[in-house]
Amino acid sequence: MLDWREEIARRLSSLKLDRTRENEIIEELSQHLDDRYCELISGGAADDDARRDVLMELNFEDLVAQERSRLVRETSREPGAPEKSGHGFFASLGQDMRYALRQLQRNPGFAVVAIITLGLGIGASTAIFSVIDNVLLEPFPYKDAGHIIYPRVHGATQGPDEGRQGFSSDELLDFLRQNHSLDGVIGTTDDPVLYKHGAGVEWLYGADMTPGSFEFFGMPALYGRVFQRADYQLGAPPVFVLRYKAWKARFNGDANVLNKVFVLNGTARTLIGIMPPRFGWYDADVWIPKTPHPGMSIGFAGLPERWFILGRLKPRVSLAQASADLNGIVNPLAKLRPQDYPAQFQMFAVPFGHSGGEHLESTMYTALGAVGLLLLIACVNVANLMLARATSREKEFALRAVLGAGQARLARLLLVESLVLAIGGAALGVLIAWGGLKFIVATMPPDSIPAESVIGLNALVLAFTLVLAVLTPLIFGLAPALQAARRDLNDPLRDMGRGVIGGFRTARLRDAAVVVEVAVSLTLLVGAGLLMHSFLAMREVNLGLQADHIFKTTLLLPPDRYKTAEQVSAFVRPVLARVNAIPGVTDAAESSSVPPNNSRDTKIEISGKPPEKQWRAQVQNVSETYFQALRIPFETGRGFTETEINDARKVAVVNRKFVSTYLSGEDPIGRRVRLLELESVADLLPSFEIVGVVDDVSNQGAPGYGRGGLQAPIEPQVWIPYTVTGSGERSLVVRSVQTPMSVMEEVQQAVWATDPGVALMYPDALDQMISRRWYAGPRFALLMMMIFGGVGLILVTVGVYSVLAYTTAQRTHEIGVRMALGAERANVARLVIVEGVRLVLAGVGVGLVVSLLLGRAVEAELWPGVKPYDPVTLASTVVLLLATGVLACWIPASRAARVDPMVALRYE
Amino acid sequence: MTPEVEWKKVSGELLILSLVEARPRHGYEISKLIEQRSNGAVRFYVASLYPLLYRLEKRGWIQGRWVEKSGQRRRRYYRLTIVGQKVLASQRRGWQAFVEAVNRITEAEHA
Repeated sequence: MLDWREEIARRLSSLKLDRTRENEIIEELSQHLDDRYCELISGGAADDDARRDVLMELNFEDLVAQERSRLVRETSREPGAPEKSGHGFFASLGQDMRYALRQLQRNPGFAVVAIITLGLGIGASTAIFSVIDNVLLEPFPYKDAGHIIYPRVHGATQGPDEGRQGFSSDELLDFLRQNHSLDGVIGTTDDPVLYKHGAGVEWLYGADMTPGSFEFFGMPALYGRVFQRADYQLGAPPVFVLRYKAWKARFNGDANVLNKVFVLNGTARTLIGIMPPRFGWYDADVWIPKTPHPGMSIGFAGLPERWFILGRLKPRVSLAQASADLNGIVNPLAKLRPQDYPAQFQMFAVPFGHSGGEHLESTMYTALGAVGLLLLIACVNVANLMLARATSREKEFALRAVLGAGQARLARLLLVESLVLAIGGAALGVLIAWGGLKFIVATMPPDSIPAESVIGLNALVLAFTLVLAVLTPLIFGLAPALQAARRDLNDPLRDMGRGVIGGFRTARLRDAAVVVEVAVSLTLLVGAGLLMHSFLAMREVNLGLQADHIFKTTLLLPPDRYKTAEQVSAFVRPVLARVNAIPGVTDAAESSSVPPNNSRDTKIEISGKPPEKQWRAQVQNVSETYFQALRIPFETGRGFTETEINDARKVAVVNRKFVSTYLSGEDPIGRRVRLLELESVADLLPSFEIVGVVDDVSNQGAPGYGRGGLQAPIEPQVWIPYTVTGSGERSLVVRSVQTPMSVMEEVQQAVWATDPGVALMYPDALDQMISRRWYAGPRFALLMMMIFGGVGLILVTVGVYSVLAYTTAQRTHEIGVRMALGAERANVARLVIVEGVRLVLAGVGVGLVVSLLLGRAVEAELWPGVKPYDPVTLASTVVLLLATGVLACWIPASRAARVDPMVALRYE
Repeated sequence: MTPEVEWKKVSGELLILSLVEARPRHGYEISKLIEQRSNGAVRFYVASLYPLLYRLEKRGWIQGRWVEKSGQRRRRYYRLTIVGQKVLASQRRGWQAFVEAVNRITEAEHA
């Protein structure tokens, strides 16, 4: 008799079994081999042959054994074994992780799809969360920002976000002295700064700040110091503080500029401090100390000075209490100056923290909801992928169970695999979020976020991602893990009943998940389609002018030297002549504003018409070349002549809307229009003879706060010669054959050659400005929806694929039977595709209903005329989803068609 | 994995449970009975039989016990447990249902 023990022991050694158990197995197997050997010998075999045959039958090299030897290493170190329990959770977790990594390496396709799916979900959530964190939750780096409020005068007829937020010095001083609800009150006002530089002056955005402002914000200077009480005293040396961004841009971050003297608006001021990067109060470049004085004072462009006021709520004071307090303070003022207050009004203390992106807030929270759904869908998809994969790993799990792995252990292994996938997804997600944020910042409409907020990944955002990485495996890993754990208990049913009885309820759940994700994706895509439709409709709107090849800039005239109309026109006339002489310039004009911005609004009266209280019109002061420069066509009458401009004649051009509103059916030419509110600031007799009518030119202003934008109705407008008034803003509009910005340098030289003390403000190409201010907002919303819709579509593809791959794998034997009984391969493929399309169709049905219901809610956001049930959008979205669904069915369908009936039937 | 291995793994449980139903048997005996009763069509070698036995034992469907008989080395005998009896009944029903179903289908096909 031969001794097989050594040979068996050698072959089992890699399994590292428990010593007693190993001895038992060796004993049992060696007896078996003995018996077999004797059998072969008695059958007439030679000793060597019998021995070789027996050893061959002990062949652990086949697949079962291979799997077994690999798995036993894990299961033999099960935490349940008493003598191993001291080894620590983390050591075995690390072991599980390494094992999970090996598993994923063996199936890289699965791992890649799962990680990309999770990465998309986690990345989108991280990006949106970081925008919300930076813009809505923590936009301001200021001390106790949550308790800062600003006052607003709200008229009874005004919209919820409307009302006056600028206050006179008198109002500011009364708030300061009389309030009982606020700890500290500060005021800020615009102060455009002319800064002497080279051949002329440049413009800086300045802000005047009242005493205690920097203490209020609680931010020290990065270099130097902020204002102190002494800087506000009469006769104190003039000082200013510089913004970090301006310091970098204008002085290259040179620390030597500190304590240097600069001439700002004709005053020599010492630069005493440079603020840290995130201090951007009022979006100003420089801050200047200013003490408010009682009485009316004139601010920028001859307009009354207005202070924006901030206060900090005292502890335990509510917003309502503060509002009541402010009401009590302004009531006497309203009686003194009733023209500053609506007939019925209320004061509100508005939380400042919310002023960040109030019109962005609902968009962002909607977006967070959308990406949350996308993440959930991603999790469901990965869960389905894992279920499909678990089917093909049944043998592995069963073998693990045989060799001693408990159900909890199997579930844990699967959860660790999920965790590894989620960590991979989170890493990819951070990359996606990083790139996505760069994209979001680049496409975001300007001025939609506070200057202080920095959109980027920060510790809180990364913590959010980490939480997602830990939570998501619980969502997508739990179902497969539980199923794996349960499977062993159901073993007898499994073997016989695969695909016939198995998991009816979980199948329903999987199908429901696909239906839901198709529905969500459809809803997002319909939204994207409607926004695109709206956007295209908006681009179709005729602005009434030709915006290409126009350079525009506002001129900052030193107020002390430009008070009267004569002073202004003595400057403008030579400037226009010089600009006209620039090579390539075809037209140069002066204007008080640039469309589609709105102009100053005034009450009007028309000769021969009884005065009407509500008659108003926008008034724009222009030179005779204005209409030609912007290619604004005349309907009747004529434009201004050079003589009329030079002599400051009282003539006017009106728009078509003006005629249809106030002079319907009458001849407007020769009528006189009185501009009543120009009287308070301007030096003129406000009655103008209408000499011409132009087509409507867009004058609704930039969109925001539910007003303005190109969908708003055009307002009646009057153009008058710029030479009739000394007040108001002055802008240049220059048409050239070359690209607009290329003439900027020469325009600046032309201005400085006339008066080196005048600076250019907001130089820009008109079409670029319109694109940024008017189109960027809707374009941003459209892009976000398209990205969400696109991600949703990818996830739907993965979702349909994973569910069909799973059910097809489950039904392999059924397919085999069908094929054995004569089903064509094409029929089998069709079977799978029909199942997939059935799910997609159900999702499309649900999605259409949801879209129509939501459509009523978003109707207000859409361009007038674009209906939420726009058939073209709905139909194309449905077709897109169906095509995607069929595509996703393709791989499982062709796999099913390749099933070999012989192989499939052997399963049973 | 070859089709044969697959086939054996799935149906092997049913075979083993059936063979230990009447009385306890040891591993070699089980393998001989399978070979003989199938006229050599089905064979379980040591490397595939014992993992299956251990799996069934771990599930509690069969129970192995070392038995010493005079003049012989001790051997490990496997007997069917109460749970195993239920499982066997269920597997038999399932198997019969399947065979009948296939028969009905194939008869209809050739009718």
